Amino acid sequence: MKFLPLIWSGIWRKPGRTVLIFLQVCVAFSLFGVLQGLKSGVERLISQARADVLVVHGNLALFDPLPLALLEGIESIPEVKVAVPVELFQAMYQTPTKKVGVVAVRPSEGWLSAFTFTIAPETAAAFRKNRTAAIIRDVLARKYGWKIGDHIPLLSSTAQKNGSTDWAFDVVGTYEDSDLNGGSDNMLINYDYFDEARLTDKGTVKHFKVEVSDPSVAVAVADEIDRRFANSANETRTESMRELAQSQLQSIGDLNFLIRSIVAAVVAALLFATATMMMQSIRERLPELGVLKTLGFTDTAVFLCILAEAMLIFIAAAASGLGLSLLVFPLASKIVPGLSMPPIVVVLALAYAVLAAALSATIPAILAARSSIVAALAGR
Amino acid sequence: MNFVRQVLALLRVNFGGIAARPSSALTILVGVSCAVGALVSMLAMGTGARRQEMGDVRADHVVLSKTGERPGESDIAKDEAAAILGLPGNRKDSAGEPIVVFESMTFIEGRRRGTGTRIYFPVTGVSATLPKYLPELRFTDGRMFHPGLHELIASNPCTRQFSGFELGNNRLMHGIAWTVVGHFDQGEGQQCLVYGDVDGIMSAFKRNTYTSVAVMLQSASGFDAFHDAVAANPSLHLEALHESAVMEDGFKQLNAILSFVAYFIGAIMALGATLGIVNSLYAMVDSRRRDLATVRAIGFGPGPIVVSILIESILLAIPGAVLGSGLAWCLFNGLAASPFGYSIQLRVTAPLALLGVLWALVMGLVGGLLPALRAARVPVTTALRAI
Repeated sequence: MKFLPLIWSGIWRKPGRTVLIFLQVCVAFSLFGVLQGLKSGVERLISQARADVLVVHGNLALFDPLPLALLEGIESIPEVKVAVPVELFQAMYQTPTKKVGVVAVRPSEGWLSAFTFTIAPETAAAFRKNRTAAIIRDVLARKYGWKIGDHIPLLSSTAQKNGSTDWAFDVVGTYEDSDLNGGSDNMLINYDYFDEARLTDKGTVKHFKVEVSDPSVAVAVADEIDRRFANSANETRTESMRELAQSQLQSIGDLNFLIRSIVAAVVAALLFATATMMMQSIRERLPELGVLKTLGFTDTAVFLCILAEAMLIFIAAAASGLGLSLLVFPLASKIVPGLSMPPIVVVLALAYAVLAAALSATIPAILAARSSIVAALAGR
Repeated sequence: MNFVRQVLALLRVNFGGIAARPSSALTILVGVSCAVGALVSMLAMGTGARRQEMGDVRADHVVLSKTGERPGESDIAKDEAAAILGLPGNRKDSAGEPIVVFESMTFIEGRRRGTGTRIYFPVTGVSATLPKYLPELRFTDGRMFHPGLHELIASNPCTRQFSGFELGNNRLMHGIAWTVVGHFDQGEGQQCLVYGDVDGIMSAFKRNTYTSVAVMLQSASGFDAFHDAVAANPSLHLEALHESAVMEDGFKQLNAILSFVAYFIGAIMALGATLGIVNSLYAMVDSRRRDLATVRAIGFGPGPIVVSILIESILLAIPGAVLGSGLAWCLFNGLAASPFGYSIQLRVTAPLALLGVLWALVMGLVGGLLPALRAARVPVTTALRAI
């Protein structure tokens, strides 16, 4: 503790140089924070995806229609809590550029638990009662200024029985979606109304959402569903939401190699720069260190003082660098949703900071510790 | 004239001094080459992607889709599509048939070679006119599919990336085996492309509409007339788009992401490298205080000193940039990266290397400014007294 003032004055001996080293380390660690945040954000997204919700879709192609009749077969599996048919189509509001993704679901008992939506109970009740009801994603409702009670006309390439491609729905409320891939321009409508009204592809769905009683039986249930429809005209492929998230986000993981190369380049440049600076600074301070030794400081004490100076600068700079990268997160989250900085990244960064400080300060510190008093005082 | 002579003389002294203290110069070299290397290799992804996506675009190619719908996701009824054949401006082949390709695209499941990971890739049903529409399509093995048969042709990246695309392999689609009969290269493209007969694909997937229609014009200048003819036809609810516009639209998002990442990381690293330059030059200037005071005392002006330090800073940064670009080229050029699900071959091009050098110039200039000013302000008497 008594060395603290000594270390402190050592740090501020040349404020300009210290500030520059501090900034350099700070910049390096803010980059580290952003890149690690990217990585951990992806990992968190995967772990947050629900493992107890399965998606049953066509075996071969992603958007191949499946007959609604499969629902009975799925529901008859005991571990299945709820199974919801889902149909998707694109519509336009007023102009072709205002696109709306329409998600048609059947609001059977407990349907909401198979989704990541948050819907007010009275909205859900109104949705079940009114066949032409629509629940709008909160973001979309704000975008077009739709309010409860509005009658919204949509144009779609899916034709109605009478040949018209105009559709209209009544807004009964809004919903929030915690799934970051959920799509912001979506609205929910009643599957049964839509299926009855459309001209073609009657009685088909894009996929079924299935909630199982426990995540641990998810794999068994998925296999059971696929086995039931194997060798039929409509073979299925059942995956959990987590598996889907995994395969979707895996592609981002391919960036890991690049991220690692960049971090390596940053660290190499940083270490080189700081080590040179330290060396220079110690060389300049040799006479002062000589004085310290004359006063009775041991070699070890001098060594530790110099090392502590470096550690202090690096740790402080790393911490503020991570803080800076937190500021950048909102900007970068446009690319990868859910950027985050779990404690492990902070710990890792501080460990790296200590390591970097040790690497760049050890040689100068040894140099200082070994110098003989006479040579040091003479400035040699 | 005197100014230039003074600068040259100072530069000679400065560079003579570098040999005595190589570590500061090395710091600048390493810092700048890391920053420029990272920037150039990140940007190389963007140029690689652009060459792949836009390299084969032709001005006489037109893509049609339903108004407001994206080509490839559109649904064009068969009678509507048939009317396209009669539109003016279509190029005809030697037999007098218009070169129009009806397309129906769907995504089917494949397995990555080696890892066996599942992945969805596009299979496009096309008319047999495809080779005339795409003259750059070159078969490396096998032959074109026969219309009416369950046959597929696959681009060479497919065989590299996925299993089950060797010649003679059967792929099961809704209970029907489709045989791979040909491998091809398509210009600059690095994506896996699989084509089959459009009618066969549509009946296999129970579809009755095309997802887009591609037309080859007699000449690139005929686009406006063709576009207006489509718009003026009351029975067609279609929109004609330049192929380049369609590709640009599909590429926009990826390009924005790649550029953002490249410039964001490049800028942060440049900031770090600039700080390194400032630090190193400060150290150099400090170690030269005596020399600087001496030259001031014998009549050198502050202007030449500032200029000489700036030039020195830039001259130290530029080899770093060259080294960084060179490293990026050695390590990453031609390497296939697949960020965000796209397979991209990195391209380190001359303009990119030039950009790296410019970037380094700015770093050198900005980083050299403060130390240069300090050098010019060395108090002559105190500095000389320190001898």
